[in-house]
Amino acid sequence: MSKNTIIGLVIAGVLLFWGIGVRNNMATGDQEVKAKWANVQSAYQRRSDLIPNLVKTVQGVANFEKQTLSDVISARASATQIKLDANDLTPENIQKFQAAQSQLQGSLSRLMAVAENYPQLKATENFSELQAELAGTENRIKRERDVFNEAVQGFNNSVVKFPNSLIASFSGYKEKGYFQADAGAEKAPTIDFDTKK
Amino acid sequence: MYSKLSTFYRLLLLLMFVTIQSLQAQDIPAQPNPPQMVCDFVMKLNPTEKQALEQKLRAYRDSTSTEIAIVIVKNTGEYDPYDYALKLATTWGVGDKKKDNGVLILWATETKKIRILTGRGIEGPLPDGVVKRIINTIIVPAFKQGQWYQGLDEATTEIIRRASGEFDANESEDDGGVFFIIFVLIIIFIIIAVIISKKGGGGNGGRGFRNDGGWMPPIIMTGGGSNWDSGKSSEGGGFDFGGFGGGDFGGGGAGGDY
Repeated sequence: MSKNTIIGLVIAGVLLFWGIGVRNNMATGDQEVKAKWANVQSAYQRRSDLIPNLVKTVQGVANFEKQTLSDVISARASATQIKLDANDLTPENIQKFQAAQSQLQGSLSRLMAVAENYPQLKATENFSELQAELAGTENRIKRERDVFNEAVQGFNNSVVKFPNSLIASFSGYKEKGYFQADAGAEKAPTIDFDTKK
Repeated sequence: MYSKLSTFYRLLLLLMFVTIQSLQAQDIPAQPNPPQMVCDFVMKLNPTEKQALEQKLRAYRDSTSTEIAIVIVKNTGEYDPYDYALKLATTWGVGDKKKDNGVLILWATETKKIRILTGRGIEGPLPDGVVKRIINTIIVPAFKQGQWYQGLDEATTEIIRRASGEFDANESEDDGGVFFIIFVLIIIFIIIAVIISKKGGGGNGGRGFRNDGGWMPPIIMTGGGSNWDSGKSSEGGGFDFGGFGGGDFGGGGAGGDY
């Protein structure tokens, strides 16, 4: 009897420690994903911050096509409205966030394409620097998204696999969402402006 | 039957392995051994020029820990040159691991593309606009006239000028780390010794001895550590700088064609 109690206690202890270990692992992964998410957000923020400057520069050019400009402005407004807290990075939320941002990206690249038709704009130092900044921002977004996806993959792996999934459901850790490759992602490199200036 | 099957599978596996391997080898060139700051896979620079650049970048690395790598390849395969440069920079780990202060200059000679990537930590003194200007006003005009060395030399000079004062050399920090490890090991050693001596009954003699043996490796390790350190300080000869520091890149930088 006492022997059985001891064995039982030992097993319970081992299980407990295993559970604590697994849970702590998930907590670490969770923190990591959140940290990477912060980087993703600041990369997007960076793009958003560039837009007023870009708009001002472009507006300075006489008779610049109004429609593309107002598209960018409204896309930026709706993109900044969708704020995503690091605590609910569910697949649906990520998808919503991404949809708004990719709309902004689309209208931005249209604007830059239109701008190509205005030689007086292309000639300004300010605009060519903005181009470089914008290209760099797109690159940063891509990079941070990749890093974020990697972190999410690591976390999800630790959450969804069988014995761990029990611990995950106890402690409330859920699978997190990935960024999907954008529809028409082949379009993105147009913003890579490897221009001859 | 069984052996036939297994050879077949082994062959298949080998084939898969080889294809994966060759793909990777195609994607990103391996770092030369010993590692170099200037990796000219196309032989665009003559040995004197390459040596001059190498010396300059190593001296700068030794004094500031900032690593500026120049990689010259024929083309970037099916990759976008930016993606290629990023993969190269992160795989090789250009820049200090903590400061992320690496800069990678990638030049694809066949496709005439230049990409300069800045590490996460060095984006401040080298924002994308500045990098773009370096490419447009220094590298592109020189390269258009076939002055490869002048373009790279002046560009690195400008990068160095911009980044000067941002970072310090690593030496002292490394020493501090080694001393700290030695200190911790000594403390652990003392604790273990105390425990053993307290436990030290007649029957435990054998175990105590074995424990002593078990504690030899860490001492050897610290010896290795100090060896490595002295090796590092004597690197001034310029043969081997010990490899890149493992810096990370966040997507900063710019590109241009000539």
